[in-house]
Amino acid sequence: MDYLIFSFSLMLVYIGLAQLLHIQFGMAGIPNFGVVGFWGLGLYGTGVLYLTYDVPLFIAIAMASLLSAAAGYVLALLVLQRSGQAVLAATLALSAIIATLIVSEKDITGGVQGLGTIKFPFGDMDGRNIVFMVFILIVVIALVWLSAKLRDSRMGRQLVAIRDNEELAASLGKNTASTKRWVFAVTCGMMGVLGGMSAPLHQFLVPYQLAPSLTFAVWIALVLGGKGHNLGATVGVFVTFGLFDILIETYAPVPAEQAILLPNFKLFCYGLVLIMIIMFRPRGMLGEDKPRVRARPAQAQGVPRET
Amino acid sequence: MLLLDSIFIGLLEASPLILAAMGFTLIFYLNGFMNIAYAESITFGAYFAILFNVVLGAHFYLAIVPSMLLSGALSVAVYLGIFRPALNRGVGPTEMIILSVGVSFLLRYGLILAVGPVNMFLNEPNITYLQFLGMGATNLQLVALVLVLIAAGTLYWMIYNTGLGEQMRGLANNHDLAMASGINPHRTSVAIWFIAGCAGGLSGIFSGVFAQVTPYMGWNVILITMLVTIVAGVGSVRGAVIAAVAAGILTAFITLVTKPLYAEVILLTMFIAVLTFRGARTA
Repeated sequence: MDYLIFSFSLMLVYIGLAQLLHIQFGMAGIPNFGVVGFWGLGLYGTGVLYLTYDVPLFIAIAMASLLSAAAGYVLALLVLQRSGQAVLAATLALSAIIATLIVSEKDITGGVQGLGTIKFPFGDMDGRNIVFMVFILIVVIALVWLSAKLRDSRMGRQLVAIRDNEELAASLGKNTASTKRWVFAVTCGMMGVLGGMSAPLHQFLVPYQLAPSLTFAVWIALVLGGKGHNLGATVGVFVTFGLFDILIETYAPVPAEQAILLPNFKLFCYGLVLIMIIMFRPRGMLGEDKPRVRARPAQAQGVPRET
Repeated sequence: MLLLDSIFIGLLEASPLILAAMGFTLIFYLNGFMNIAYAESITFGAYFAILFNVVLGAHFYLAIVPSMLLSGALSVAVYLGIFRPALNRGVGPTEMIILSVGVSFLLRYGLILAVGPVNMFLNEPNITYLQFLGMGATNLQLVALVLVLIAAGTLYWMIYNTGLGEQMRGLANNHDLAMASGINPHRTSVAIWFIAGCAGGLSGIFSGVFAQVTPYMGWNVILITMLVTIVAGVGSVRGAVIAAVAAGILTAFITLVTKPLYAEVILLTMFIAVLTFRGARTA
């Protein structure tokens, strides 16, 4: 039972990450291949603050997420106005830098020996892992709701305009560079929040958790579900993580000697699914959704229409 | 002395990287997207060498050529089976990268399912340690260096001096114009993917024989390869060679001065810095 709660909590974290990636890539067109880096800064930041400096958990999460946001802002300042492929390589490089530093700075992070133990909040209450899961659920639902709000807002339309044609958006008087930078920093900071919330889930932090496979798992889920749809992230994570990591790994009757190969088989299938989706359904399972804008009352002639 | 040491060690260490960066650049130049699945050309090169060298028992030097050719054939198969249909469907550059991640997963984990997740070792030819001018290297390293230099030189000559290279550069710069001038894009592409796959395979064989053969070996160098390529500028094979050599020497230098782990951090940071300051020329 505890294992199932852990898996569900982790799945919620993945949904949150994919939702943020939907904002970054689906809306603003920023290919962030360093998801695990920003998540990991939140994870390790929280762990170090909580264990070494005795900061209360939720304050530690907040502080660590500021660190992620700062890293996102600085990276955005450096490379966000470059081509998509450069942004992709730079974010991937940043996550590799973070993962390496966490191994090498063992005085702070415990290096390969790891860092622990991070306890669940709420004292000694029974079922606090369930309470914490509900807490993550609330955060993730809030994220999905906020991203729907963002899609319907002027800011959301501006992001889509930047994604489709940045020069055009800039020529309309939008400060595209600054908008992208802030959106990127804030969403990276929220990835840090999710990382911080993963700290008590994992309880024990090891550098292995910062492997790029997390980035790719989130990307695959988002592309599969539909990068331009607000619920794409949720659906995608359910189909990938929910189906493989929870249903099959927990319930499928696989003999023990084959069970070791199961994660490899999973990634093999992910690869296959990704190819199929890009080839035959590039917009993902759900496709794209249009912003819901309230119908405006007709306006008198001569009054410039607001758009 | 430190400088000389790092140049020497850097050249030895960078020799597989030079080949990988050249092959990666060729595909990037021709088709305009970063082919992450190129990592598997490197890995499969090493595994084909395992097949000939360990399973079939051929001498290491004899195993090099067939493994390299098989790696090239695999590259062509992937191009014809997946990337060409995708390009014809008009998939954008970022989506192509995601697609190539999918291809990479498919090949790598397919390989693991087939041969198991264990590390393997090539049967090296007898190794002697040579020393001259105060610097040491094994005969194998020197042979690898010479072979890599020959291969890289051939590749370089081919791109800048032969008809195929000219056709490739024509196609990369202006696809329609190249086709109007009678260049068969299909044939040229297949040739380039084959050559790139061979270069990747050769790179994998050498990095495999220096250390060990693992399913992740290509994946571990693809990030550096990618950054070398971007820093060099889109599809400049000349630039890729220079950037790969520079990266190798720099890594060796930083490793000699500080800890090996910092070498990677400093290198990656410098790559981001280069992207920042001369990113306008990239992609």
